Amino acid sequence: MIRLIARLLRVLNSETNPGQISLGFCFAMVAGLTPLVSLHNLVVLLLILVLRVNLSAFLLGLAVFSGMAYLLDPLFHWNGIQILTAPALDELWTSLYNSTLWRFARFNNTIVMGSVVFSLALFVPLYFLSNGLILRYREHVLAWIEKTRLMQFFKASKVYHLYQSLPHFGGGG
Amino acid sequence: MTQPNTGLIRWWGLGIFVVLVAAIGVLWLLVVDDLVKAKIEEEGTAAVGAKVELDAADLTLFPTGLTLTRLQVTNPDEPMTNSVEIARLTMNLDGLQLLGRKVIIDEMQVDGVQFGTARATSGAIDDRARGGAPGTSQDDSTFSLPPLEVPNIQQILEQEDLETLKLIRAIQTDLQREREVWKERLETLPGKAEFAKYQKRIEGLKSSMKDGLGGILGGVDELKTIKKDIEQDLANLKTARKEFDEKVALLNQRFVQIQTAPQRDVQRLKEKYSLSPKGLVNLGQTLLGKHIGAKLKEAAGWYEMLQPYLEGMETGKGSTGEEAGSMRGKGQDIHFQEHEPLPEFLIRLAKISLLLDIGELRGTIENITPDPAILGRPLTFAFAGEQLQDLQGVTIEGILDHRDSAHPTDTMQFRANGYRVQPVALSTQPDWPVTVENGFADVTVNAELRGQAITATGNTELSSLQFSAGKPGDANPLTKALSGAVSDISTLSVQADVTGTLQQYDVKIRSELDRLLKNAAGKMVKNLAASFGKDLQSAISAKVAEPLKNLTGSFSGLDSIGGEFASRLSKENNLLKDLLKQGLPQKGLPKGLPDTLPGGFKLPF
Repeated sequence: MIRLIARLLRVLNSETNPGQISLGFCFAMVAGLTPLVSLHNLVVLLLILVLRVNLSAFLLGLAVFSGMAYLLDPLFHWNGIQILTAPALDELWTSLYNSTLWRFARFNNTIVMGSVVFSLALFVPLYFLSNGLILRYREHVLAWIEKTRLMQFFKASKVYHLYQSLPHFGGGG
Repeated sequence: MTQPNTGLIRWWGLGIFVVLVAAIGVLWLLVVDDLVKAKIEEEGTAAVGAKVELDAADLTLFPTGLTLTRLQVTNPDEPMTNSVEIARLTMNLDGLQLLGRKVIIDEMQVDGVQFGTARATSGAIDDRARGGAPGTSQDDSTFSLPPLEVPNIQQILEQEDLETLKLIRAIQTDLQREREVWKERLETLPGKAEFAKYQKRIEGLKSSMKDGLGGILGGVDELKTIKKDIEQDLANLKTARKEFDEKVALLNQRFVQIQTAPQRDVQRLKEKYSLSPKGLVNLGQTLLGKHIGAKLKEAAGWYEMLQPYLEGMETGKGSTGEEAGSMRGKGQDIHFQEHEPLPEFLIRLAKISLLLDIGELRGTIENITPDPAILGRPLTFAFAGEQLQDLQGVTIEGILDHRDSAHPTDTMQFRANGYRVQPVALSTQPDWPVTVENGFADVTVNAELRGQAITATGNTELSSLQFSAGKPGDANPLTKALSGAVSDISTLSVQADVTGTLQQYDVKIRSELDRLLKNAAGKMVKNLAASFGKDLQSAISAKVAEPLKNLTGSFSGLDSIGGEFASRLSKENNLLKDLLKQGLPQKGLPKGLPDTLPGGFKLPF
């Protein structure tokens, strides 16, 4: 985990495109909040490997969002029931239910449906929020942090040496 | 800092994805067999309540199929025995349906099915109690043979408390008590002392009336007082006499009833101890019923074990918007209308080979599913075997129709030809043991279960029968006659009708056995019963004669009390008459007394 945080800090502090880092967070949100062993997460895996997404951000985000998922399960369940039992969508769900691929994807499970819709709904807002925060961090916070005593102390620490030794994993690669 | 790559696609990522997916696929293929084996053992053990073990599982993808080798299902009530052991089980799975999370088995081959095989190690998982395993339940039927001994009258009279004697004892106690009560009561009623006092007062009155007008006037008052006292005593005596007469009447009534009590005792003991021809009518039911009942109980046990699976306890029903199952963290699966509805689990055709003690039975079961309503077809089965050990041929066919779960209907037809009957004890009663030594049987059974109501008819044609009946040197004429009748039977037709529920059913047996036994022993039983009744009557009459005589004597004590009442009443009346001779106003005099006072005596007012 320390290595992961160190990598993330290095990426944040590098000139890596903020969009690549934000995409890592966003895909991590989808994979972390939804049941991991699901067909849609295979698509997520393909996308994070093929698209130039920062993998450090994805892996750290995955750990964080997976933890959050347990707390949010009741919300996902409620959300899933509302969506799957909405009369207006009944025809759509019935159609998908008769498709082997969609049945395999378990779209009719309340947790799967609730969490997927929830994470997809937050995908774009999180992307822009994350992008904005990274840019602000680099412009305002990073310069100030560099000058603090804590940072001076940190630069002398083992973690910093580790941090320095890490490559730009993911987005820059 | 290095110059960041800004292109949108990194092609090497695609390679990593392919490698990762392939690695996952290979890993899955390597462990899937063990996963399937572990899953079957885990789920099976949880369902049965005892170990379910599998030697090996082999899952193939092209074509999609599964082969299980040596499946053992432990009998939960006998952990060292398997309920079922299957040597090999091969099935073809519908791959597409499997992706849709439905287990649809087009064809299943089940070879080497054996029941009750021994286990090398215990299959118990815990000590929880389970009941009603097929074929292991105790026979709790209450069949018993009618009494076949000719009863010993002396023994009966020693054991039995006769009603006649009880009544005699009771009335004698009451007689004694009444005598004592009335003797004490007589002490309180007017007697000799009171009569003497009255006599003296009347004599005094006569003397005073001779003393002129003053004496006469004073005598009138005394006369009134004496009359009133005598009338009061008379009333007391009459009331007491009336009560006494009522008590005596009740006791007499009881005495009359006692006269008929010996006859009632005879009747009761005859019914209790005498073998009636009616008992022989049910002998066929008694001899054969418990064996048929035991077979039915075994069949009911098997059916009850399968019933939860037939009624679809595992899956939710597929209709729009319906929810099924709820598990925290796993959510619920919402089911929708399917264009071509299929159950979650279905075996379209199972070809089964049963290895029984008598040989191999082959058959098929179609449409095995916990959701027959979704499939729209009932489960059907058909098994047959020929040239089996001790059996020429057998067929079992049936339909388990649970499409309408509220009104399930199951039917079954069983036919067995040329079954060699093994030695079977029909009666183990020491006085009259009966065993079928050998013979042949053709059996037909048609059964129907509608909901909980069972209706079954069975017909068995027995031939070449050989019985052994009775014990050597049997001196009892009745059992000898019965044994002779049974031993002569070589063919027999038995019909059984079963009605009721699986838990509480009634078995009615009809056979020629009843008629044969009745013919052979009925007359003898009737004569024995008549003779027994006559002897019993004589013995009871002799036993109660002396107590009855004593009881008659006890009533004489009451007669003396009745006489005493009559005497006292007479004396009081005489006193009153005597008093009236002295002169007394007529008003209020007892009826029957003269209208005018004797001697022309006139009162001054």
